[in-house]
Amino acid sequence: MTRTVVVTSGKGGVGKTTTSASFASGLALRGHKTAVIDFDVGLRNLDLIMGCERRVVYDLVNVINGEANLHQALIKDKHCENLSVLAASQTRDKEALTKEGVEKVLGGLSELGFEYIVCDSPAGIETGAMMAMHFADEALVVTNPEVSSVRDSDRILGMLASKTKRAIEGGEPVKEHLLITRYNTQRVHQGEMLSLDDIQDILRIKLLGVIPESESVLQSSNQGVPAVHMKGADVSEAYKDTVDRFLGEEKPLRFVNGYKPGFFKRLFGGN
Amino acid sequence: MTIAVQGVTPDTFEIKSATLPLVALVLKSADLDALARELEARFGDIPDFFDHDALVVDLSRLESEAQGGEHQAVDFPALLELLWKYRLAPVAVHGARNELAAVAKAAGLFPAPDARIGTAAAREANAEVVQKVVEPEAATGALVIDKPLRSGQQVYARGRDLVMLAMVNPGAEVIADGHIHVYAPLRGRAIAGARGNVDARIFTLGMEPELISIAGLYRTGETPQLAAIRGKPTQVRLVSDAEGNRLVFDPLK
Repeated sequence: MTRTVVVTSGKGGVGKTTTSASFASGLALRGHKTAVIDFDVGLRNLDLIMGCERRVVYDLVNVINGEANLHQALIKDKHCENLSVLAASQTRDKEALTKEGVEKVLGGLSELGFEYIVCDSPAGIETGAMMAMHFADEALVVTNPEVSSVRDSDRILGMLASKTKRAIEGGEPVKEHLLITRYNTQRVHQGEMLSLDDIQDILRIKLLGVIPESESVLQSSNQGVPAVHMKGADVSEAYKDTVDRFLGEEKPLRFVNGYKPGFFKRLFGGN
Repeated sequence: MTIAVQGVTPDTFEIKSATLPLVALVLKSADLDALARELEARFGDIPDFFDHDALVVDLSRLESEAQGGEHQAVDFPALLELLWKYRLAPVAVHGARNELAAVAKAAGLFPAPDARIGTAAAREANAEVVQKVVEPEAATGALVIDKPLRSGQQVYARGRDLVMLAMVNPGAEVIADGHIHVYAPLRGRAIAGARGNVDARIFTLGMEPELISIAGLYRTGETPQLAAIRGKPTQVRLVSDAEGNRLVFDPLK
């Protein structure tokens, strides 16, 4: 059975593509045959994060339009054997995505034996985002600890519950997971960022994981290596925990209580 | 009901009977400027009050006032434009006689002498300009919603109360013609008595709204009255006395 997972947020720049890359890689590392699709037609970022930008020949829109088949368009990831990437088209716009076309692609991937299909949604609530979520079985809602991101995630949750195929056909609702990214315990402690409780109070869906804010994400993005592969980094561990929880394991949250007062604070106290 | 004509079933179409709920606009004056002003006062702050409801323009009042005398000329194209602005879809006229009916027809409104228009409310002293032809059934009770209302979502309990069992998030909107009960935090907008019911009230277990309105009188979330009861169980009601109309926020015990 193929499970389709959309990675979405509403707001831009919260870490959807970073998450898609690391989450899909994490599933593949656990031995699941996984495909990750970039729905951000017209912008195309996922291939950069995955480090396969020079190997893109055919893309999602080519497959939808029947100009290429899935075999030609799927790019094998260089880090995980079980992972394939379907890039977005840079030269088209999101109107090129149709429900029928997307359904055909997802159906094709299912026939090829993929267990998980990760759909990297573009920001916003327009065609691209709607297409990415339409056929989803589960959703990772990526949220930063700040009010505008939380509100946009709230909007997206409303759409998942009303605009997706499962919602329209009245089946079992899309399973929603909350993933909080760029979480900085120190700034939360200082009241500059929303805490986990604040976010949960508004969104009230199950928390799947917390990814700490880290310099290494930028580094890994620029090198085209998904953050989950950064050996020993907090971010990598946090993504691996997230994947494990997604696959049904119980794991305690890490990197959420790491507030360490500075040297002078410890010396002189303070508030 | 399918109407078959002489036993031949055409491939391309079927004629079926259908009915359409209508709202009626009982026009009491042909002065469109005055009408525009009053519509603005009544619905200006809720531009999506109507949801492309089909509308019949009732001209019988104008006709009876013009009894024997001259008609007030109605500028139908301007009237249509005004109604479209409020998301109303005028389709017909009622109670128009020859000349007025002809002008209306020229503007695209077909004559509907058979339309049954509710009359009770029209006789009240402060009769509303617009009334429902088909009144919602009296026994429907409250509209109950048990899922959270998220940013961008809206619920309207037309002609009845609204009971929310889950939270109303920032950016969401709950509207009712009657009371609004929210047995969870109210963080979005709440509009009770949307069609002018001044007795409507709003109840919530956690008062943190973006906006509160009863019968058109509103307060934003920054009103000082809210400071003391923010996040607490609260009731809001509209009080009219010597000091004028105001919203009163009382803690619920």
